[in-house]
Amino acid sequence: MCTIGFLVNPFAGMGGAVGLKGTDGMVEAALARGAVPRAPGRAAETILQVADIGAHFITCSGVMGEDILAGAGIPGYEVVYRPASETTGAADTMAACRAFLDRDADLILFCGGDGTARDVYSVIGDLVPMLGIPAGVKMYSAVFAIHPRAAAGIVREGCTPGGKFLLRDAEVVDVDEEAYREGSLRTRLFGIAKSPYRPGLVQGTKQVFEDSDEERAKKDIARFMREVIEGTPGILYILGPGSTTAAIGEEIGLKKTLLGFDAVKGGRLIATDLNEEGLLGLLEEGTSARLVISIIGAQGSVLGRGTQQVSPAVLRRIGRENVIIVATPHKLAETPMVFVDSGDRDMDLAFGDHLSVVSGYRIAQRKRIGRVEGPERTSQVGGE
Amino acid sequence: MHTKIVLDEDHMPKKWYNILPDLPTPLDPPLHPATGKPLVPEDLTPIFPMELILQEMSQKRTIDIPSDVQDVLRLWRPSPLYRAHRLEKYLKTPAHIYYKYEGVSPPGSHKPNTAVPQAYYNMKAGTERIATETGAGQWGSALAFATQIFGLECTIYMVRSSYMQKPYRKSMMQVWGAECIPSPSTKTKAGTAVLQKDPETTGSLGIAISEAVEDAATHGNTNYSLGSVLNHVCLHQTVVGLECMEQLASVEDYPDVVIGCVGGGSNFAGISFPFAGEKLKGKHKETEIIAVEPASCPTLTKGLFAYDYGDVAGLTPLLKMFTLGHDFVPPSIHAGGLRYHGDNPTISRLVYDGVMKAVSYHQSEVFDAAQTFARTEGIIVAPETSHAVRATIDEALKCKKSGEAKTLLFNCSGHGNFDMSAYDAFYANQLVDYEYPEQLIRESLARLPKIPGA
Repeated sequence: MCTIGFLVNPFAGMGGAVGLKGTDGMVEAALARGAVPRAPGRAAETILQVADIGAHFITCSGVMGEDILAGAGIPGYEVVYRPASETTGAADTMAACRAFLDRDADLILFCGGDGTARDVYSVIGDLVPMLGIPAGVKMYSAVFAIHPRAAAGIVREGCTPGGKFLLRDAEVVDVDEEAYREGSLRTRLFGIAKSPYRPGLVQGTKQVFEDSDEERAKKDIARFMREVIEGTPGILYILGPGSTTAAIGEEIGLKKTLLGFDAVKGGRLIATDLNEEGLLGLLEEGTSARLVISIIGAQGSVLGRGTQQVSPAVLRRIGRENVIIVATPHKLAETPMVFVDSGDRDMDLAFGDHLSVVSGYRIAQRKRIGRVEGPERTSQVGGE
Repeated sequence: MHTKIVLDEDHMPKKWYNILPDLPTPLDPPLHPATGKPLVPEDLTPIFPMELILQEMSQKRTIDIPSDVQDVLRLWRPSPLYRAHRLEKYLKTPAHIYYKYEGVSPPGSHKPNTAVPQAYYNMKAGTERIATETGAGQWGSALAFATQIFGLECTIYMVRSSYMQKPYRKSMMQVWGAECIPSPSTKTKAGTAVLQKDPETTGSLGIAISEAVEDAATHGNTNYSLGSVLNHVCLHQTVVGLECMEQLASVEDYPDVVIGCVGGGSNFAGISFPFAGEKLKGKHKETEIIAVEPASCPTLTKGLFAYDYGDVAGLTPLLKMFTLGHDFVPPSIHAGGLRYHGDNPTISRLVYDGVMKAVSYHQSEVFDAAQTFARTEGIIVAPETSHAVRATIDEALKCKKSGEAKTLLFNCSGHGNFDMSAYDAFYANQLVDYEYPEQLIRESLARLPKIPGA
């Protein structure tokens, strides 16, 4: 039987409606402004759809889970964590996840936003798959289903007897809420979780026949990029964060950092986890360099989310034409548009209306570039 | 003003036009894959009947169409030539747009123009079974139709992605008595090898060709048949252009621009070779001839002009042609018939010599054009054909800008009645605009060994 660790961050998303752009550390302020909890309703929407699948739920007491399971008539659930106060916080989310780990949960199903995702991931890492029911103000992380009902569909598929979860790497993105409230979006890639998904490309219809295995797609991209890198030994390659670029490192036989910018030349790893200064140091006048980056998070961001090391100054040294973007067809299928937010408007415009994204072995896809939504980024983000 | 220009049956061409003697540069000879030496007719006898081998290499300007073949072609030939009045009006273009509609054949495309003579020559040579490959299924269904008429068995290796996308094409093959197998398969060594390396492969024409060739080469009673790429195939398709010439003459017109989509090149050759011949003979020097291909498989626009194999396994002769590399597996676009790494050597040579030119388009652009065409002219074209429609519309819009009343002719090579899932994907916004990352691919090839014998 499938064991699901279920938790709700009851205050997730409350800050959004009252203009707080996030609720981390702001629960009291949100309540004072008259915010109404919305996460319990979102969570219930998912749970009602999976009440009959016969999974074993383990959860937290009261508003952090139990109330919703009881309300949906889920039989035999078990409370494995009790928060000390009704105003729950990050520590409670993390403590609950530790209890879920102890009970060998097969899936952590949580309801919240990016902050909750970060807290869950900080405990479980990639040991247990995690799936988010979207309820937060910001959901840049890729662990969220697109809708509570979609989350239910994924859970049903994996937990029904005979079913199994198809897993993929999903970025957990950390947003600095304080800076966000002040009008600047500072994000970084916090980690790469395992998350279940339904392969949209083969789902339901026959019109597109694609491979459902994202790992294979990554290997295809990596194989092609290895041939390119080996074919151009004089060029310095900077490989950005994420599992697709990590697969390229692995294909070349190098130990690339998962979350950092690493430099490769002539088949050797010459620097790892570079910051802006380190990148600029490598990119002296006359250095022929290329940046290989992937799309980060669920929103189709190419630059600017989780890639602050690549400042406009770094990008100018590299040159727009030397930016190679890679992403699996699976990621691209969920990304109708890509967003370029380098921190320099002229540089963003230099990318034009479309991007060519390497998506397989000798295959690319053309994607339309959308305009960045949300608050303007300030120039200090890029270190300018 | 005519909408449909129809020829009487007795005006159906009695001879095919062979462009080879009119080429400005003779073709480089096909090479034996093992020795790298020019092929001799005997090298091909294990898989082709002699009559087709002789046609492949013939320097005769015209070749008689056997009367038994004419009898079958008359089931739908001469095909109608349409003046696209409604499309012209919609585009507000001064251009005259004509299209030759090959979708009237029983299998719904131009393919039986060569399937019928190929089946006929094989029957005459005592062949009992023909093995072939098919991409989108148009060729497979055409050969199934033709072999059934001449009493031959037929085995068709259908590219796996198309096999999944277009189930009704395989149903047609079944109606006409053929066996249809998804490729790669475990029936051949070539297919087994691909599956071992990559069980999830979508397949490609190059892989399916390897399987069909191996099947033919390893069975004494079986020959191989190819629906495109080779010279004799293009020769058989020239009935299309020859009819157009007569149909246009009957309304005192002549094309300034001739357009066709290109996978292996046969429908494009069919409509364009007779006009290219006139151009080469100096009669209509200004005729523009445009090959249209997918941006994801841009053989003529981004490939190399070099010797390469026609298939993935390297079983076929080496042909001098534009190629993306015989190991290139194009992405699964809906225009499955255009997923081929190479092109007919004659078309390649004519593009290389500047007699013809090539353009490429993304999937969503061509379906957009196909929708316009369906909503003006009524015909829902095949995804392959939609490439020609797109280029024609663009040429017509150029005329609108310049005010020129050019005559545009394109080959409406087939209907898309079995391709509705592709249109569904278009409306669901699910069409992926695949591209060919040319610069990166060139760099990735820099360290690869050269093709033997090239």
